Amino acid sequence: MGIGPTETVADHAADTPATAQEIAGRSPTKIALDRLRSDKIAMICLGIVVLFVLIAIFAPLLTRLFGVELRGGVPIEDTKADSFPIIGPPDYGFTWEAPFGLAPTTGDDNLAEWFYGARTSLFVATVATLVSTVIGIIVGLLAGFSRGWLDRVITFFIDVFLSLPFILVALALSPIIVSRFGADAASLERWSMFSLLFVLSALTWMTLARLIRGEVLSLREREFVQAARVIGVPTRSILFRELLPNIIAPIVVSISLGLPTFVTAEAGLAYLGIGVAGIPSWGQTVNRAVDYFSTYPVYLYAPVIGITVLVIALNLLGDAVRDAFDPKTRR
Amino acid sequence: MFGYILRRLVSGILVLVTVSAATFALFFYGPSDPALAYCPETRCTPERLAAISDQLGLDRPVVEQYGDYMKGIVAGDDFQAGAISIACDAPCLGVSFKLRLNVTDYLWGRFPATLSLAIGGAAIFLALGLTLGVSAARRRGTFSDKAIVSSSLVINAVPYYLLALLAYLYLISEWSIFPASGYYSPFSAGPYAWVKGMLLAWIMLGLVYSTQYARFSRGSMIESLNEDYVRTARAKGLSERRVTLKHALRAAIVPVVTIFGLDFALLLAGTIFTERIFSIQGIGLTALDAIGTKDLPIISATVILGATFIVVANILVDVVYSLVDPRVRL
Repeated sequence: MGIGPTETVADHAADTPATAQEIAGRSPTKIALDRLRSDKIAMICLGIVVLFVLIAIFAPLLTRLFGVELRGGVPIEDTKADSFPIIGPPDYGFTWEAPFGLAPTTGDDNLAEWFYGARTSLFVATVATLVSTVIGIIVGLLAGFSRGWLDRVITFFIDVFLSLPFILVALALSPIIVSRFGADAASLERWSMFSLLFVLSALTWMTLARLIRGEVLSLREREFVQAARVIGVPTRSILFRELLPNIIAPIVVSISLGLPTFVTAEAGLAYLGIGVAGIPSWGQTVNRAVDYFSTYPVYLYAPVIGITVLVIALNLLGDAVRDAFDPKTRR
Repeated sequence: MFGYILRRLVSGILVLVTVSAATFALFFYGPSDPALAYCPETRCTPERLAAISDQLGLDRPVVEQYGDYMKGIVAGDDFQAGAISIACDAPCLGVSFKLRLNVTDYLWGRFPATLSLAIGGAAIFLALGLTLGVSAARRRGTFSDKAIVSSSLVINAVPYYLLALLAYLYLISEWSIFPASGYYSPFSAGPYAWVKGMLLAWIMLGLVYSTQYARFSRGSMIESLNEDYVRTARAKGLSERRVTLKHALRAAIVPVVTIFGLDFALLLAGTIFTERIFSIQGIGLTALDAIGTKDLPIISATVILGATFIVVANILVDVVYSLVDPRVRL
């Protein structure tokens, strides 16, 4: 199965049996999307992802709908002397007042925390993916197209960044940025979110940049680029109008596999203790819940299932996207 | 070949110098006054702070300080602060005044735990991954092939630290199926205690990494099984076992070597999640603790150490690649 623009409709005879003999001109992206649409697992995963996105967007509405409140716990009123909540699990049965129970010690509602955790997770993953993709595209295009000293300098810095141990640097760098800029409590939240996004995107753009550099190196010698240069198209247009559309497939694949990586990374860093102070995050809840696991497993399971389901759905969707855009990977 | 290795070494050293300069600039110069970290919190007067700052040479230009740091790595150094004097032989990665010890010795003491974790985990994931990958490639298209591929996809899709955490909570804390985890030196505590403490961590590391190796070796095995020389070997009447293991696997293993080298370096740089979950006192947990206490010399030393492992592994992988695969000429 190739991905040429003239792939016959007959390959997808099931979709359009009437025009089986015709040859239709379709763009590679459209062919890939058609393949994706006929992939059942991918569509189920897409459904799950859309569900999580809706939860993230409508988190405030959902918390009101369930009659719960974010960080509304009053430790003295909502918890007993042994720090466990006065309603719901682990000591009492299920209650609609707090469907996922209350957090020990603080008495905060777990469901509200979970809804907003989805929001943090998807927001961080989306922004970090976009920023790191944009950096990767620009750096890769520049390095591949410029050749000479600029290419060498960029390749060197790609090597430097690739040699950094990611989790360690992310963990170490984030508090430095926060302590440098987030002086007062009001800006602390903003700066800790910024530092998280900065660390995630600044340490992950290299793979895509290297990939694009390689693609551009081979594309720039092709006739259509030479033709564009001969008729006097400015370099910027060559980069973004001629080259970029030809490397859309690796970019789409990189985005769709980047999202689950960032969801995992955000929760992982929050679990290790680096997160956005004051903003709910599944990883932070996991970190807190581990100590209560033997008596209050539900507390741990809510965020664990959230992360697992979202990441599996995103990963399998990403794999399907990769297979659709590059059928060679599926053997 | 020699010229190539030399060039790679030079560029590797350049990368490391850049990493160390950036680390130095960020961690020593970036946050609030580093002298504050060395000043006893309860009795820290401005005069005392200034004295420490002076003694540590923090009032000198940053370039000079960085030069001293590099000199320490190459030639060693001695540190003086107040009444404390800490000797630090080359390679000196600085001293932690909080813990009052020499960072190189400290990390060297933690390294055996990380090394044990990496070796045990790597042995499991290589054996398991290659076996699964090769057998899936031989049975390509059958049910067992599909089962291996799809289960590896799913396991690979779950965040590793959650799997490890749940395994720890259930198999060690709740049900006590596995012995309590932790690092015990195989030499002083005996190999039995060593294996017991590491067992579940090895298994989890091995299981999760092996999925990647299974898929990878399956792909490259399928490629080499389609080569002409494999057909020739079959036509000669060699046994299927010999064809797969001696002829096809030899070529298929080359790309696996590449990712193995890098994965192993990353494991040596500190498996923070594994060490944290199974409370194994290795480099990763040391770094995590140091981040918690803002112990900058230790943090930057672990970053530089990690970068060194990755750079060295990259060079080694390329050299080994050319040795294993005669088609690659350096």
